[in-house]
Amino acid sequence: MTPRIFTPLVLFLVIGFLIGPFFIIVAASLSGGETLAFPPQGFSLKWVAKVFTVESFQESFAISMLLAIGGTAAALVLGVPASYALSRYKLPFGETIRTIVSLPIIVPGIIVGLALLRYIVVPFGLNITLTLFLAHTALVLPYAVRVVSASLNNLRSDIEEAAVLLGSSRAGAFFRVVMPNIRSGILAAFILGFVTSFNQVPVSLFLSGPGVRTLPIDMLSYMEITYDPSVAALSALLAFMSIGIVFLAERFLGFSRYV
Amino acid sequence: MSDAPFLSLEKLTLAYGDTVAVKDLDLSIRKGELVAFLGPSGCGKTTTMRSIAGLLSPASGAIKLDGADITRVSANKRSVGLVFQSYALFPHLTVFENVAFGLRLKKLPAAEIESRVTAGLKSVGLSNFSARKPGELSGGQQQRVALARSMVMEPKVLLLDEPLSNLDARLRLEMRTELQRVQKETGVTMIFVTHDQGEALSLADRIVVMLNGAIEQIGTPEDIYNRPISRFVADFVGFENIFAVEGGKLKAGNGPIDLSGSLPPDTAGLAWRPRMVTLGSGPFQGTVRGASFSGSTREYLLDTPLGAIKAEEDAALAARETGSAIAFDLPVEKAARLKKFG
Amino acid sequence: MFQNRAEALALALPAAVFAAIVFLAPVVILLAEGFRSADSWSLSAYTTFFSDPLNRTVFLRTFRLGLMVTVVSAVIGYAAAFAIVNLTPRNKGQMIGLVVLPLMISSVARTYAWIVILGRTGIVNQALQLVGLSDEPIRFLFTETAVFIGLLQLFLPLMILSLISALENMPKDAIPAARVLGANWFQVFFKVILPLTKEGLVIGGTLVFTGSLTAYITPAILGGSKVLMLETLLYQRVTVANDFVAASVIAFILIVMSFAANLLLKRLATARNKR
Repeated sequence: MTPRIFTPLVLFLVIGFLIGPFFIIVAASLSGGETLAFPPQGFSLKWVAKVFTVESFQESFAISMLLAIGGTAAALVLGVPASYALSRYKLPFGETIRTIVSLPIIVPGIIVGLALLRYIVVPFGLNITLTLFLAHTALVLPYAVRVVSASLNNLRSDIEEAAVLLGSSRAGAFFRVVMPNIRSGILAAFILGFVTSFNQVPVSLFLSGPGVRTLPIDMLSYMEITYDPSVAALSALLAFMSIGIVFLAERFLGFSRYV
Repeated sequence: MSDAPFLSLEKLTLAYGDTVAVKDLDLSIRKGELVAFLGPSGCGKTTTMRSIAGLLSPASGAIKLDGADITRVSANKRSVGLVFQSYALFPHLTVFENVAFGLRLKKLPAAEIESRVTAGLKSVGLSNFSARKPGELSGGQQQRVALARSMVMEPKVLLLDEPLSNLDARLRLEMRTELQRVQKETGVTMIFVTHDQGEALSLADRIVVMLNGAIEQIGTPEDIYNRPISRFVADFVGFENIFAVEGGKLKAGNGPIDLSGSLPPDTAGLAWRPRMVTLGSGPFQGTVRGASFSGSTREYLLDTPLGAIKAEEDAALAARETGSAIAFDLPVEKAARLKKFG
Repeated sequence: MFQNRAEALALALPAAVFAAIVFLAPVVILLAEGFRSADSWSLSAYTTFFSDPLNRTVFLRTFRLGLMVTVVSAVIGYAAAFAIVNLTPRNKGQMIGLVVLPLMISSVARTYAWIVILGRTGIVNQALQLVGLSDEPIRFLFTETAVFIGLLQLFLPLMILSLISALENMPKDAIPAARVLGANWFQVFFKVILPLTKEGLVIGGTLVFTGSLTAYITPAILGGSKVLMLETLLYQRVTVANDFVAASVIAFILIVMSFAANLLLKRLATARNKR
């Protein structure tokens, strides 16, 4: 087979396989019918509209947003200083510390969720929302450390010494000359963390209580009850949200450098 | 230039963890002097410079500046400037803000900052670049910004890390002139670190040659170039024929060789540059193994009972044939006398 | 490199202590539980677990599906990566963007699409009935095939991206040189491309394999209780039977398999850096 035919054919099939289902969801969510079907029976926005009226979706969306924003922010508050110590200091047990903060990426989320339920929530009576927040923070921490470290490693460390010699304190040097130069790395870490946390299912599986569940979990349980196209509509909306965020991030930050 | 020491290092020992980089170093520098720390990489010159700046605290010993002990004074309160080898400009700030950085931290009035930065940029010829970011400047321009950034702080001592090594030949000459001018105009005490003997010889008032964390020799460029006192320094500044001396005799080739004339008892070695070797007459015999022509001179490599000898002759003289026998002399009165040979 | 150890620890310890308390400690206790039986250390939980034929089936199925997804994604991945690296830089960037895009979309949404496609009234069944290949709707959902397709779609981008960077790091003239020396395309692939991109293949393969092993949503939605995998089994054991010991055993198996794959990945990555 010559590359002239090979290249477009392979790309058409593979990209079709990867992206096609997304278009099908969008089409199905615009259906006028009562059940999930393709091609859609007529055109209507009623399922898209329904998404916004389902009360549990509203609640779980708010919780997922809170977790994604709060958890990522907390992960950065912990992760930025840790990354700084790992990249600029001769840190005792540096490799061990790096491994510990990177572990949550390797261990399957469902196990983390179960372990938290059994050994934190049950014995200490810790609030589910707070536990979810801690779990999502731990989950995002490895991404925060990885992206911020990459950003710090691209920055010469002698500018901090230069700032100190010009009269700045060590902390002042960090805020005056390091932070402004890793700002886009931190923002990229925030976006990656947000998307990861927002789409996360396994960690949150066991961590749901009365009125407290994340949006993906809520979607899963909604699907168990009915196959109406509103989940398709919600999926499409969420996908557009993720694509929009990533598109903007790529546009303004060159996001893919960090991922 | 007064003779009282302005900056002195006393029994300074510097270490990274358990690795001692500099041991018991004593040095004093006068106000307004331009001193070079010269040596191969790993000799401790950069480490010593960083300790003067306060970026590294000494394991023991003291650093005194302008009558005060600054050993425990932190780097941001020392009045010591440093121009980094990489320049270390702040990439997010304009040229103007880079130069103003230290002045702003001092909380000087805006008008004074403005005038000092403008004057600083003017003195390095970058008045038109104040709104640019460092990334938009050439290496030479970046270095001049770094120089201005340190100089507007009016430091007592200005340190420069390999100031010429990142520049091409033309800019090197320009920067050398620039540094000498700044030093002359402001009278600031300058110390620069280099591994390039040419740089040290052409720029410094005084050269401190370092090896293995200790000072090997201190002297004027003429001293270092003409009168090296150790085998290492002689080799470093271009002496090619270096021999040990034992009991007044030259230790070379097959055995001790008698020298014409007597030597002071503390002579440990003798060294000759190729052009100090007399060709065509003398007590020694050799064979021409190879020759190379370099415009004004011709350099010969001789096989001799003393070992290989490098000699140089005016190119106007007739070339000597490879393989021919030749008489030569190593005149003791021209040789550099080495007190240290090891 | 700053030398102040106290400062360094003050910066790094909060993150480390947080991860240790919120994450490491509970997980370690959970894993330890599987090795306890009546106040002593024992492997009885493991023998019990593996004596149940259902558990053995699920274990083998998880392993088999993981392996199959890895192999098929490698085959497709090479074709796709090869096609992409030969594009003009502009088109290449756009194609890589299209490959990355699905990674940013919730896997619930991505998996949900397959219900629309493979369901009783889905596209595939309608097409089959339209051309008369089948009178009755064929059941695709809740089969291993559905889970396989879902996992493949989920993890294929990781393989393609790893292979793209491996192919880009390959010496530019290696393929023309082999062609000039008389190799056919089959030989070019096995004697030149494969050895030179082996590390990228291993990295992509590890990501796809561990991803498939530990996937929850895809087997939950497309496999249901008919096609259990280890994660869905774990969830079922806990929610249906309150069986935390079995959960601990499954967790340990998953972690061991993930760690083994990651260790391999790390070893290969450091081997490459040293070169």
